Amino acid sequence: MRAGNRHAALLFLSVLIPAASLAAAPVRDGIGHVPERVRRLLLTSLLYEGGPAPQAVRPADSTGPSINPSRLDQPIRLERELRAALRKPLSATRLTVTGGTARLGAYSVGSAETIHGHVVVLEGNTDVHGRVEGNVISLDGDITVFPGGAITGDVLAIGGAVHKIGDGTIRGTVQELAAATIVPLAPPRPVLAQIFGHAAGLTGLLLTLTVLGFGLVTFGRPNLEIVSDTVAHSFGRSFLAGLLGQVLVLPTFGMIVIGLALTIAGALLIPFAVAVYVLLVLVTTIGGLLAVAHAVGERVTHRRMARGVALSPNSYRYIVTGLGLAATIWIAWVLFGWVPVAGTLMLTAAGLTTWSLATVGFGAALLSRGGIREHFAGRLIAPEMMTDEYLWATPQFGVPAVKRPEKKEE
Amino acid sequence: MRRQVMLLGGLCGLYELGGPSFCSGQAMRAFSASRPIASERFLHVTLDFAGGTLAVVPGTDGQLYGLKLRYDADHSTPVQQYDPRTGILRLGVESTGGTGLRVSSRAQLEQTARVEFSPDIPLVLYANLGAGDATLNLGNMTLTELDLRSTATRAHVDFSQPTRGVCKSATFTVAAAELDVHHLAHAGCGAIRVSGAVGAVTLSFDGAWQRDATLAVDLSMGGLTLRVPRGNGVRVTAERFLAPFNGDGFTRNGNTWTTPGFDQAPHKLRVELKAAMVGIEIKWIEDRR
Repeated sequence: MRAGNRHAALLFLSVLIPAASLAAAPVRDGIGHVPERVRRLLLTSLLYEGGPAPQAVRPADSTGPSINPSRLDQPIRLERELRAALRKPLSATRLTVTGGTARLGAYSVGSAETIHGHVVVLEGNTDVHGRVEGNVISLDGDITVFPGGAITGDVLAIGGAVHKIGDGTIRGTVQELAAATIVPLAPPRPVLAQIFGHAAGLTGLLLTLTVLGFGLVTFGRPNLEIVSDTVAHSFGRSFLAGLLGQVLVLPTFGMIVIGLALTIAGALLIPFAVAVYVLLVLVTTIGGLLAVAHAVGERVTHRRMARGVALSPNSYRYIVTGLGLAATIWIAWVLFGWVPVAGTLMLTAAGLTTWSLATVGFGAALLSRGGIREHFAGRLIAPEMMTDEYLWATPQFGVPAVKRPEKKEE
Repeated sequence: MRRQVMLLGGLCGLYELGGPSFCSGQAMRAFSASRPIASERFLHVTLDFAGGTLAVVPGTDGQLYGLKLRYDADHSTPVQQYDPRTGILRLGVESTGGTGLRVSSRAQLEQTARVEFSPDIPLVLYANLGAGDATLNLGNMTLTELDLRSTATRAHVDFSQPTRGVCKSATFTVAAAELDVHHLAHAGCGAIRVSGAVGAVTLSFDGAWQRDATLAVDLSMGGLTLRVPRGNGVRVTAERFLAPFNGDGFTRNGNTWTTPGFDQAPHKLRVELKAAMVGIEIKWIEDRR
């Protein structure tokens, strides 16, 4: 039968047999399993192309591939070298084996035979009935030592297995390196599930920040407004201060702990100091971020009012508006984060933007000492910058403003 | 063909940026190595295991050592080097590219290894463990020395049966690791040392005492629990810094705590302790041998 006809017939049979196996399905462990086995056998015969014809591999020239099987303790490197030496057709393969010989296809050592030196067998099984005085390597083939057979050296089967039958002996180390199996990763979550998951996370975060922001407005509005004004008035300075602050957070923490540890009384305060420090950093970061949202919201609200939109300008609105704007880029990520490459870029952009805002807020909180110091908030005008009329008519500090700065003599 | 493969690889690489995809998968590979006993008089083993699950157990008769490994072929390389002249053996798996025990992929934590050593051949075992879980059952082995270095590993060492031969020392070094040693008395090691930082260490001195034990501990941050069979004598000499030690049942003399009747106790445990920010606890257990 021609190869093409044979393949077609086998394929036809392998397709037909599942129908039979379905009929026998209830008896999976009994005879019902037979059709499946036959089908597999047919498919195997269909796919099996047969190994190369057994033959010796001729040594390569001085620049060609060579291998030294005297040490088999680097099987990965040996495999790489052997596979690199293989040529198509396989009969064109050339390989120099230091202290031994190379074979292609199935190889057998007869019971009366003794091989002196290493043996490398490519693309075939190795059967040892006699004696091999050296190491044996097989590439994509099993090594079997039959009763009475012996290998005095080490054995390495790459992409195969080593078998010992009866009193067959291997004196050296036996190594088996199986072919790699790809274990697929878990399938990705459906797009809708990803979107809902991200949306839920973002909503939860926004709600939390909004609640915190409202609390801050209710209980610490003056401080929030000073930090917010610092953001608006000293944006670049706040960013730099925030950056420096982030760099110094850990060293400062370490210095505090070490400083406390060096004093007997202070050592007892370490747990308390650690908790307070962590809390302070968290409050400064979140408070700073909310102050940035407040500043952005205030600016947007004022612009809308300038365009004639009737709005009630208050800090609660500022917080909601600012957080909403900051969330815009995250909403884009929620919707399109599942898209390959673009999703990652969006996530990176959103993360960087949020980090920048948090850095500005952190820096503004530091510069304003948590909303106590107005120096960078743009609220103070140096007396020398004011006109005489302004200074005379306008209270400068405090409610009564009785301590108005003295006019400097020219 | 090569061009197509490169194109597919490039596309997969781009797709990888977007998250998990069909292109990727763990290339896991099996490797095994074993060797029969010939004329070996001892085995000096360095066992490196970068990450995953490791089991060390006594081997079968006639086998010097055995290794069955399933490793992440993309990031790790199996190690098996034996010199029959010196009896020095290196076994395990290390990260590709000479990065030692560094774990560079999650797949490395999926690695598994089972290592067997002959119970009949005197064994010196140096084990370097990266991240993962390790179980070492060293009972009935002819253990002469043990040095276990564990980083970010949950290590469980059990001398389930009395060891053979003379164990000179057992050294345990932990870093951000959890170490649990059972039946230490079965090991009969002359000196036991524990050192490291940020670790939770539990040493159980249950089992058949072969001789008195000396334990030297140098720990920073973490916890140390010593479990000692009731009736044995314990003397603790401690240099502590922020390391509370409840010496109930001990008689204190300066920095030394001693159990009553220490000199008459059938077996004695002497502990030299240097600890900073470590919770120290000694628990009395019933010996159920």
